[in-house]
Amino acid sequence: MEKIEHVYETYIRTTPEKLWAAITQPEFTRQYWGGGENVSTWKQGAKWQHHSNDAQHTVRMTGQVVESVPPKLLVLTWADPADLADESRVSFELEPMEDLVRLKVVHGQFKPGSTMAGKVMGGWPRVLASLKSLLETGEALNVWAGRSCGK
Amino acid sequence: MEKSQFIYVTYIRTTPEKLWEAITNPEFIRRYFFGTTHESKWKPGAAWRMVTPDGRVCDAGEVLECEPHRKLVLKWRHELDPEMSAEGYSRMTYVLEQHGSSVKFTVTHEMDKPGSKLIESVSSGWPPILASLKSLLETGESLEETRHWPEGL
Repeated sequence: MEKIEHVYETYIRTTPEKLWAAITQPEFTRQYWGGGENVSTWKQGAKWQHHSNDAQHTVRMTGQVVESVPPKLLVLTWADPADLADESRVSFELEPMEDLVRLKVVHGQFKPGSTMAGKVMGGWPRVLASLKSLLETGEALNVWAGRSCGK
Repeated sequence: MEKSQFIYVTYIRTTPEKLWEAITNPEFIRRYFFGTTHESKWKPGAAWRMVTPDGRVCDAGEVLECEPHRKLVLKWRHELDPEMSAEGYSRMTYVLEQHGSSVKFTVTHEMDKPGSKLIESVSSGWPPILASLKSLLETGESLEETRHWPEGL
């Protein structure tokens, strides 16, 4: 079985606290994360959702918080609500460095035959590039034309 | 044949022309590439080399393909560490694609053998360099940590 793991690393001129807020608070995520909001109490064991930023609040992704150590580490299970068995795992590691934060995102533990692995490959670079632009310039990138999160 | 490969995709709020300038003009490059000077005429067949601030050639090779504002392919061999140098030439590709008001920038660095030490090494070097390039183009300032050649190296 091929072990697929997507690893993304970037460096953002910000603080761990601001970056943590940008990942976990809906008023930030809706700006850069494909128009979707991340919602949870972010406590270990809690449920989390990424839903559309409109009246319907369509849930696009969901899962559980496996580990939460603000503002350093967040580990989530991750699945499309239409296919909960195809669960994978995402971790966000935030490492402070002088005036930067190194952000490492690992998306792995895909089930054999997972369709999620291929779907997220194009999404993560967009999310992280847009997040970096938001935190450094105040404006997210418009890289979502014609696409929704995770697709 | 199994190969070693590093791929990085990012999106930068800029134009293909400005990004091309930033990756081929030595005055820009050294601001996000640890102070190194990249020398080349940037034409197919032209020599290419990366020189440290104290004048050592750390990497060298040749331009294989060059389509301004779209694609640059380099033959790239490390020159300082003997083990990495002995691996021979890797292939480094920059692809620039307009994506709305951003440019999708894809960097692929690969070697035609498994377990390449060079590819392992550049896999940790590229992310800060590319993050710094993005900051430079979007904010006017590269990331401080990538402006200077590390002491003692």
